[in-house]
Amino acid sequence: MRGQFKDTVSDLAGVDERVAVILGDVSFYMFRHFQEAHPDRFYNMGICENALISVAAGMSAMGMKPFVHTIAPFITERSVEQIKLDMSYNRFGGNIVSCGASFDYAWDGATHHTYMDLAILRLIPDTEVIQPGSNREIDSLLRNRYANDKTTYFRLSDHPHDIDVDTTFGKATVLKDTGAKVTVMTAGPLLGNVFEACRELDVNLVYFHTLKPIDRETIERFRDTRILVVHDAFGLHEAINEVPDIRTRYHGLPDQFCGWYGTLHDIRKRIGLDVEGIRNAVERAVSKAENA
Amino acid sequence: MNATPREIRANILRISHGSGHGHIPTCFSVIESLCAVYSTMRHDPQKPEWTGRDRFVLSKGHAALGYYAVMSAFDYFPIEDVHTFGAFDSNFGCHADRLKVPGVEVSTGSLGHGIGVAAGMALAAKIARSDTRVYTLIGDGESNEGSVWEAIMVAVNGGLDNLTVIYDANGSQGRCLPIPNPAERFAAFGCDVAEVDGHDIDAMKTALQEKGGKPRVVVAKTVKGWGARTLSENFHEWHRRSPNAEELRNLLEEVDAWAV
Repeated sequence: MRGQFKDTVSDLAGVDERVAVILGDVSFYMFRHFQEAHPDRFYNMGICENALISVAAGMSAMGMKPFVHTIAPFITERSVEQIKLDMSYNRFGGNIVSCGASFDYAWDGATHHTYMDLAILRLIPDTEVIQPGSNREIDSLLRNRYANDKTTYFRLSDHPHDIDVDTTFGKATVLKDTGAKVTVMTAGPLLGNVFEACRELDVNLVYFHTLKPIDRETIERFRDTRILVVHDAFGLHEAINEVPDIRTRYHGLPDQFCGWYGTLHDIRKRIGLDVEGIRNAVERAVSKAENA
Repeated sequence: MNATPREIRANILRISHGSGHGHIPTCFSVIESLCAVYSTMRHDPQKPEWTGRDRFVLSKGHAALGYYAVMSAFDYFPIEDVHTFGAFDSNFGCHADRLKVPGVEVSTGSLGHGIGVAAGMALAAKIARSDTRVYTLIGDGESNEGSVWEAIMVAVNGGLDNLTVIYDANGSQGRCLPIPNPAERFAAFGCDVAEVDGHDIDAMKTALQEKGGKPRVVVAKTVKGWGARTLSENFHEWHRRSPNAEELRNLLEEVDAWAV
């Protein structure tokens, strides 16, 4: 997905002189052609994430459309006040594009995990929070949102799904609607596992790439079902629960640091976000719904 | 300027007394620096959004009352407007809001933010091949924040010679985390540094007008509470205090009697 991000931003920079890229010493080699094409709009600025956000906000203040890109926990959790004040409170805006969340750096341990990015950025007024799950989604959503004068967060993944979904900003995709008593709601790259887990089960399935603004209209369609939110982060569950009188259950991150190293797949298996773990969780929800 | 620094200080005291708000000693330390900036940079109070303007960012946002009083002295708005300082629905909060006050470029308050935003503005001006200059005023206490030094490193590495940082060396962190020899430190980081009397407007203007090939730092040697003996000798006690009626009278007399 990082490659698609690079391709899309390179396209945009070719037609929009306001586009600039600021890296925190990540993906530098990947952007070498961008650097050659636009040397005055490419900055591998350093491992100083607070400054990256502030500088990007200042560039936005002057009319530019900067993309700040580095590893997720450092550019979000570490820099949340810069995002809150310099980009959002000032209404300068800017594009923040992270990598490494969703346990892409599982082997690096919990210092490189990102539990709160989606959840906390969603709480900042006037932000947009996007967790694309596929290359089509990131391409479409970047093009649609990069110049909107808002603070927009894109959380990339190294393990995209390959399922065809609606890429319209703010719109959920109903992948299954069988009139079942249970509706599974998910977001981002985890959709691949969720889709497979639900394939043989009589459940509805709804997918989100946009966590803020959340598609309340689609959620409302399933208000009379038992909703199970399956997510590899915090933020989606809370967003859905903000729809009045909606009651959900959450299957995702435990209340502990997932510092077991290994790979994304190892971590997902340990916390029940592999296909089998998700299927078990959904089956439990179906069983409870049938016995209710 | 439609008011002298002495009159600006008197305005600050009256507004602080009437509103019950204000960081008076820190405001008093930056008056001449602000006057020098607004006397130096290109700006038009009648057209605050003029695209050809230079930019100023008050990074030490708690000096907002001093900022308003100086902006008023440069005709951005009548000083009477500022008497609502800190009140509900006022445009003039204890930290300035760029969406409410014409001419304020960046809303600041949390320390260590404005200088980074200013660096981004300077970088954008460079990219646009504009001759816009960006000025920012930071505090020595504020410079306890690591983000200040991140921004300085980025500015130096980016060759932002269109950025001027005024460092208000009023000694406010003497009891906490002092920064000895700030000029040496900024020079070591690669800045072009001048050290001047921060209460001498002409000296400040001269320092601000000089240009080198690096980001410029003007270390303004100031006294917190400068302009009133009670404040300068008791600046910790007065950090966030407003004068009552009797104190106001005494402070106004001290301002009036202050030997410049």
